[in-house]
Amino acid sequence: MPTILEELAGVYVRHTSYSELDAVTRIIVPFFLSLDVFFVKDITTATLLAVTALVFLLWAGVPLRFLKNYLFLILSLSFFIVLSFVFFKEVPGNTLYSTTILRVNAERGVWEWKILITDTALLQTAFFILRILAMIFTATLFIATVSDRDIVWGLRRLKLPAWVSISASLFFRGISFFVSDFLIVREAMIARGVDFEKSSLARKFRIYLNALIPLLSLMVTRSLEISLALESRGIQPSTTFSASLHRGKLTIKDYLVLAFTVFLTIFLAWWFTWRF
Amino acid sequence: MAILEAKEVYWRYAGSKKPILENINLRVDEGEFVAITGPSGAGKTTLVLTLIGVIPQRLPGEFQGKVLLLGYDTSRTQISEITRNVGVVFEDPEIQFVMSNVEDEILLGLEPLQLDEHEIQERIEWSLNLVGLDKSFLPRSPLQLSGGEKQRVAIAAAVARRPKLLILDEPTSDLDPQGKEEVVSALRSLINEYRTTVVMVEHEPELIVEFADRLLVMDEGRIVLEGEPSEVYELGETALKHAAYPPDYIQLARQLNIKARDTGDLLRQAYSNAVKFNGVCNPRVIEGRKGDVIVSIRDVWFEYKPEKPVIRGVDLELRLGELVFLMGPNGSGKTTLSKLVAGLLKPSKGEVLIDKRGVGEYTREELSSIIAYIYQNPQHQIFNQTVWDEVAFGWRLRGVPERLYAEKVEEALKLFNLKGLEEEHPFFLSKGEKRRLAIASVYALNPKVLVVDEPTTGQDRRLGEQLMSIFRSLVDKGKTVLVVTHSVGLAYKYADRLLVMVDGRIIADGSPRLILEEDDIVYKAHLRQPVEVQVCKILAKAREHSNPFS
Repeated sequence: MPTILEELAGVYVRHTSYSELDAVTRIIVPFFLSLDVFFVKDITTATLLAVTALVFLLWAGVPLRFLKNYLFLILSLSFFIVLSFVFFKEVPGNTLYSTTILRVNAERGVWEWKILITDTALLQTAFFILRILAMIFTATLFIATVSDRDIVWGLRRLKLPAWVSISASLFFRGISFFVSDFLIVREAMIARGVDFEKSSLARKFRIYLNALIPLLSLMVTRSLEISLALESRGIQPSTTFSASLHRGKLTIKDYLVLAFTVFLTIFLAWWFTWRF
Repeated sequence: MAILEAKEVYWRYAGSKKPILENINLRVDEGEFVAITGPSGAGKTTLVLTLIGVIPQRLPGEFQGKVLLLGYDTSRTQISEITRNVGVVFEDPEIQFVMSNVEDEILLGLEPLQLDEHEIQERIEWSLNLVGLDKSFLPRSPLQLSGGEKQRVAIAAAVARRPKLLILDEPTSDLDPQGKEEVVSALRSLINEYRTTVVMVEHEPELIVEFADRLLVMDEGRIVLEGEPSEVYELGETALKHAAYPPDYIQLARQLNIKARDTGDLLRQAYSNAVKFNGVCNPRVIEGRKGDVIVSIRDVWFEYKPEKPVIRGVDLELRLGELVFLMGPNGSGKTTLSKLVAGLLKPSKGEVLIDKRGVGEYTREELSSIIAYIYQNPQHQIFNQTVWDEVAFGWRLRGVPERLYAEKVEEALKLFNLKGLEEEHPFFLSKGEKRRLAIASVYALNPKVLVVDEPTTGQDRRLGEQLMSIFRSLVDKGKTVLVVTHSVGLAYKYADRLLVMVDGRIIADGSPRLILEEDDIVYKAHLRQPVEVQVCKILAKAREHSNPFS
């Protein structure tokens, strides 16, 4: 089954031993890693989490060129964090560099805007960047190794009513429909003479408002057609699923990976609780 | 025994002034195959929804009469109870897929039946085999299936429930000739091996004649004609008035004033009595290639993914005053080539010249004033809240004052028969009106070339013929129209010039008759030979050999 990443961005993830893990494991691992983000509080644990997420990502066979595409975003965020620490926050610590940009003498005292770089500020910056990287790696791990079917069957195993897993399935189908409709509508506008590159922001906004008309009408039509297709198969909100297909058993490898992930979370929670 | 009975059924959607169904009386007996045909908007799909109880139970409106399905009153019985014994296959194979792979899709319909795992597995495999697919399809995503395969999976999902009644709503209308053939062979094995009662809404007369015991023709919400398919088609003008176009062999037989049971019979007669067929094979005058070259494509290559070219070294010239048809199997590159012609895609290699200038030298506004592109689904290109605004959109975009373009908008509305609908919201137009609006809105800018992608998909033959007449009148005014289509019948009848694409290359370019006579091209491009062409070949053979049927 194509993963969410493959369906949305067309990025193919090669088959590795990670892909052979049970779907439950592939859902739980990123879930616990994302939980860990809340527990990391210093550069050591943030590094540990970012490296762990990266190792999982490499094990899962996610092409690094995909991450490279997001490098600009990561660099921008990092740059923004550095700037905010340097320009807007005076973090106490050993001063490495200091200069005053603006000094205002007022009746009640002096107001100064300083650039102050301390060792603690640099450590905090590194900590935030590592935390963001861990989040990006974890989210990528999830969408690159889980298919919408894995999620739907995961929900089924939780014995939730049929409408929950059908809604989840329709949600993913809906996204791909919406994306492809949006691209066609945009192209249809170009075919009528709209130049998105040369239009002003206000004009672009007006044009995109126009694009909502076909998109909404297509959504309404499709929703009606899908609901009719479901009705005609006897599927209703109250339907319960009975099929017991695909109840695979977890292997030793699954248990080992799950144990490691849970252990990491417990360790970070302990670190978080006892060290701070 | 009656499986289905409808008595005096009347239905009007809430907010609509006119009823969609009126005075519908229908009886379908066990084991019968009943076909329903008629123009788009006749109420066929509404009738299907009424038969399974969605109307009046789920949609708001006024309902009168009674529908009994296997003895259940469908207006009162739970839909889940009704659909236990009914399988429904809708027109659009894409939309019907709710789940993310074939196995889950078939399984979904079996879920409410509370079957055990063994029975479920057995039914999934049985239904797939019945439609000519195997177990290797089970893990496949709908995105990996062709149109024909998707529709066969939809049929398998319906049949897996072992319904007593199977309802098919235009199962082949969205498919290319190969997809159609796949679905037809699935239907054949369905009829031969699993003798169920079938109600099929269909436009294709060849399918109706092959499978149906009885044909109902609907128009404006009523059943206007009923009988054996061949009897109904023999009614000639009366049937045509309700968009019940006969199969090609009946049309040709009528033209020659002879009787024929089927295509085979007609071909036999052609062999044994060639004199009667005089005139059928007269060469048609090729009217195309009248004007100057307006589009010139030289050694064009295009790829969406590196190293995987979709268009491979295409050379093509389009001239003013030509009606050109572009055909070929799904995935052969027809839509990509048409978008290259319209300047919507930039070639990876080679050049596209529009009116002797490179496509890159034009601004978007300039290009769209010369070449218009009309999408397969008109809903994708309707952006405004009234019909008038939609037709005027291109002019407004260019900042032209209304007094300067109002006349052109009026002219487009008149030409495309949209007068009186100026203030309507496009969303509420019929399929045919939306299609005409989409063309009118690009025509208003007076382009020299119109590129039209699949204009007749999912439309009845009458609407197809209407569109072709419009295209012909545009060509007569000196414009060039490039039509991407799967309809061999329309291409044969209307094209000045036929282009056939296979694997990103144009393998044939010329007169439709000469191209469609070539078995090799027809086979490679998954086309079918029109009956006239088959007759001509038989006549030619007859002159050379003894009886080819012996």
